[in-house]
Amino acid sequence: MISRAWLIPILPLAASLVILFFGREREDSPLPFVGIAAIGASLWIALRILFDVALGTLALPYENDWSWFSFAADLKGHPFILDMRAGVLVDGAAAAMLAVVCLVSLLVQVYSLGYMRGDAKFKRYFAYMSFFTASMLGLVVSNNLLVTFGCWELVGVSSYLLIGFWFEREAPAYAAKKAFITTKLGDLGFFLALLLTFLYAGSFNIVRVKDVVEMGYMPPFVVTLIGLGLLSGAAGKSAQAPLFIWLPDAMEGPTPVSALIHAATMVAAGIYLVARCYFVFAASPLAMETVAWAGLVTAFLAATMALVPYDIKRVLAFSTVSQLGFMMCALGVGGYTAGLFHLTTHAFFKALLFLCAGSVIHAVHTNDMRSMGGLSKRMPLTFLTMVVGAAAISGIPPLAGFYSKDLILEKVFEHSPAMFGVLALTACLTAFYTFRMLFLTFWGDGRNNERVSRAEESQAVMTIPLLILAALSLVSGWALEHAWAASPGAAGPGAFASLVGPGVAAAEHGATGAARHVNPTVLAASVTAGACCFIALAYSLYCGPDLGAAERLKARFLPVFKLLENRWGFDAFFLALVDIADRVADLAKWVDTEVIDKVFVDGWGVLTRIAAEISHLFDALFVDQAVDGCGYLSRDWVGAGLRGLIARGQVQEYLLYLAVGVSLFAIMK
Amino acid sequence: MELPLLSLITFIPLAGALAVLCLPKDLRRAIEGVSLAAAAVPFALSAWLYFAFDRSTAAMQFVERHGWISSSAVRIDYYLGVDGLSAPLVMLTALMSLVALIASLGIKERFKEYAFWFLILEVGMLGVFESLDFFLFYVFWEITLVPMYFLIGIWGGPQKEYAAIKFFLYTLTGSVFMLLGILAMYFKATPHTFDMLELMKIHGALSFKFQALVFLAFYFGFAVKVPAFPFHTWLPLAHVEAPTAISVILAAVLLKMGVYGIMRVSYPMLPLGFEWFLPYLVVIAVINIVYGALCAMAQNDMKKMVAYSSINHMGYCLLAIAGVTATGFSGAAFQMVNHGIITGALFLLVGVIYDRAHTRDIGAFGGLATKVPVYAGLMSLACFASLGLPGMAGFVSEFLCFLGAFPRWKIYTAISVLGILTTAAFFLRMLEKVFLGPLNNRWADLTDMNARELVSLVPLAVLMVVLGIWPRLALDMMNATMVNLAGLFK
Repeated sequence: MISRAWLIPILPLAASLVILFFGREREDSPLPFVGIAAIGASLWIALRILFDVALGTLALPYENDWSWFSFAADLKGHPFILDMRAGVLVDGAAAAMLAVVCLVSLLVQVYSLGYMRGDAKFKRYFAYMSFFTASMLGLVVSNNLLVTFGCWELVGVSSYLLIGFWFEREAPAYAAKKAFITTKLGDLGFFLALLLTFLYAGSFNIVRVKDVVEMGYMPPFVVTLIGLGLLSGAAGKSAQAPLFIWLPDAMEGPTPVSALIHAATMVAAGIYLVARCYFVFAASPLAMETVAWAGLVTAFLAATMALVPYDIKRVLAFSTVSQLGFMMCALGVGGYTAGLFHLTTHAFFKALLFLCAGSVIHAVHTNDMRSMGGLSKRMPLTFLTMVVGAAAISGIPPLAGFYSKDLILEKVFEHSPAMFGVLALTACLTAFYTFRMLFLTFWGDGRNNERVSRAEESQAVMTIPLLILAALSLVSGWALEHAWAASPGAAGPGAFASLVGPGVAAAEHGATGAARHVNPTVLAASVTAGACCFIALAYSLYCGPDLGAAERLKARFLPVFKLLENRWGFDAFFLALVDIADRVADLAKWVDTEVIDKVFVDGWGVLTRIAAEISHLFDALFVDQAVDGCGYLSRDWVGAGLRGLIARGQVQEYLLYLAVGVSLFAIMK
Repeated sequence: MELPLLSLITFIPLAGALAVLCLPKDLRRAIEGVSLAAAAVPFALSAWLYFAFDRSTAAMQFVERHGWISSSAVRIDYYLGVDGLSAPLVMLTALMSLVALIASLGIKERFKEYAFWFLILEVGMLGVFESLDFFLFYVFWEITLVPMYFLIGIWGGPQKEYAAIKFFLYTLTGSVFMLLGILAMYFKATPHTFDMLELMKIHGALSFKFQALVFLAFYFGFAVKVPAFPFHTWLPLAHVEAPTAISVILAAVLLKMGVYGIMRVSYPMLPLGFEWFLPYLVVIAVINIVYGALCAMAQNDMKKMVAYSSINHMGYCLLAIAGVTATGFSGAAFQMVNHGIITGALFLLVGVIYDRAHTRDIGAFGGLATKVPVYAGLMSLACFASLGLPGMAGFVSEFLCFLGAFPRWKIYTAISVLGILTTAAFFLRMLEKVFLGPLNNRWADLTDMNARELVSLVPLAVLMVVLGIWPRLALDMMNATMVNLAGLFK
């Protein structure tokens, strides 16, 4: 089955083209099923690969590639024709990721059948979805960094299309552009990293680049630069500080799109890239530390920002940013497995939370949680599944988030207790804002209003994906940690590590040997207890029939709330940057038309004309006047004088002159 | 005797032009038929050229050489040939001419003269890329000038006379300097010759001072065409005033003559002068890229925006050439082809909306995507191709340009990367303002693209994607030549 790994991204790609170009736009168009079938087939292949690995019949990593194109290149000044090859490279991390992406995408697409029903662009929506998934899958399997970058950009474009799907309104159009440009800003770093990689490694093949890096053929300075470049790209896509500004706005897209972006496709890409190129970071302590701090800062800032909004999707958006920070931080402190583990479990519970939110929004037609409340009775399935999701993200044992978050905190503690402190606080804040959202939405019957009383549970096509995701959020943490034991290759706890461990990227970054040791149970118990306390706090503030307590708190700490609502000023900062860019552009335009064109180019023209006028004047005043002067001279002076001399009316004289003339002519031959 | 393929490609449009001249102007259909045929046959032959082209050699192919003017004093040959640098450009010219002519069918007045001048223009452009004799090269180079003058000056916009004369004088000034360079080379060679391939071999005997001076003379001629900063200001004006199809030709083919000249003449014939000029060339390239993109961002006129984006994109070519690597040369050569296709398409698309709305003001539209979905789709595709989206032609060539320039000019290349971001910014802003958001009711009865427009645009759109996914279609043709070019002075 592994030999068909290349089909995994190709099938959804083909499906997206079929959906886009065939058939008519109809509300009951059957074409979405093409996309669902394609992603189903991809999922089947991905699961078979995982299954084969679990049985031990397949050894990863697997690589296979084909010639893509050839171009003229130079090696130490000698030009030659280089064959650019592209193909698939499946290691444990990629195998896990493929399954997660396919699974989440499949569920989201099924859910969308219900959510998007009746939309005027029903068919197009599914074409974009398939394309989005295909780009992400291509990014995951590619063995060539250039192709990875290509898919990376295509992910960006798909998100542009989907965030701006309802482009008839201003806000989605603006949000789409903002997402694309912001991520593109980060991509510049990725782009430069690619140039550096090729310069020093002479290849984009990940395995070959890894060899070059690990053999030490690259100067450390260059490795660090490449690492920082990759991080910059990852920060854009995975919404790390300070480039996370696009993600909250991206909520303007349809909610299932948000689920896909936040769980499996777009934001996972950055984390995955760092994991895929882990060897670069492993070779550069500075880059590694930067990753850790970027993750830490992001996790904390985003968690604080999630405390204040009343828009349900915005809370979830900030929570994604925060969770991505956890993953990034884990990777940065050497927790390769921990980061990927959290990426996997997070995909399940975040998709679940978003789809639940979508279900709620579908029922009450608003995003504002103040207009909700008391929905638990009207939408029991959504309620129950969302509780599972909330508990999972808050790290309540034994749900999925507990295992992965616990692993991250453990790693971070080994690295630095101070970072652990911040991250543990962030974990508690996570519990607080998640349950704040839950309480606002489903509790508080007293806030009942018309919207809520008309709300109904969503149809089965939407709730079944919720149930599946809830089940996964319940068990995936435990299963991935333990069930792998069935495989001959690995036994006992830490089974996920044995899957992703033999990755191409790196084995566990092993600087932890001499580090502090801590009893994991104590750690887990204390963080969980902290989270529970914060849940209780959220209950006391937001569960009641009115929001009086919360409002009083807000009034008391108004500046803090304002700061958080303004997202710590990051948006303002980037808007100022855009403003500056616009001014510079206007200046450039002015210089171009008024200086370069008017002064230099037209100036030459004017100078030429002046020179022409001067020569004309010279011509008229001197040359022509001199000619005329000669004429006057000969007529009025010489002529008149001569005439006065000879024209005296004497015929004999005239005859004499004539005779002299004739004889002169006669002498001359 | 072998079929004189290049001569056929070049002179069938001339025959067509003369035939058009003989037709009475009332027979519009016949004029259209003849001129289309005169553009289509060269295109078909260039497709043949594509398949018959030997990809394994860097030598000139399809060579035709006959004495033209020979006396004891001078010897001028009719000498044509193509290699991996010029063959793709010949194909590009044949394709874009056909496409532009199809797009011109909507022209209402004086179509006969239009077709005549258009076909003459095609002869000149094709000849420039094929000539291997400097005299012939110069003749073809100048032939492109006169038709362009009339095409802009008669069928152009409100300021057409001014734009036409500015274009004419500016490029003429440039080519006068080029003529000086040609004569300098001619007299320096012993025996005196206009044979460009021979002239590439004498650089060992040329002093540095001579090379630097002659380089500057040629550079001025080429830089005006590219157009390289600060000789670029004729371009936005000419583009804005020229009729759609002529903008297409201008961007797709005429600008390429400048870059082609640098790669065919300046670099191989005057290596010392080239090397001396490199630090300036790379700065000019960076200015073209960043400044061009910034200027584009400040425009409100769609056509002007696309025109400035051309300056930005030709900057990538210059940057790549300044890298003096095989990758860079490939990138520049491929970027020329891709820019021709993509920017040609963009100008066609701007023309489509202008024909309907009679305005190109970006701020005047809004929400058109619901009204004209096909148009919006094609425009988005072209914009994304132009901003270098992977999977589309522009990405591969831009990337090769950067890759080729990077080893030598790390900092400059890093600065140039900003151009990518700015390009994305202004294209997306344009898409947002024109197509997205609520529909501006002024355009409630706008019609989508008609058959003629689709016929001219869809092939370009297909090419953009095909060349992006399968770049070997073009790169394989170029590789041997570029390897040879980069190895000339190693």
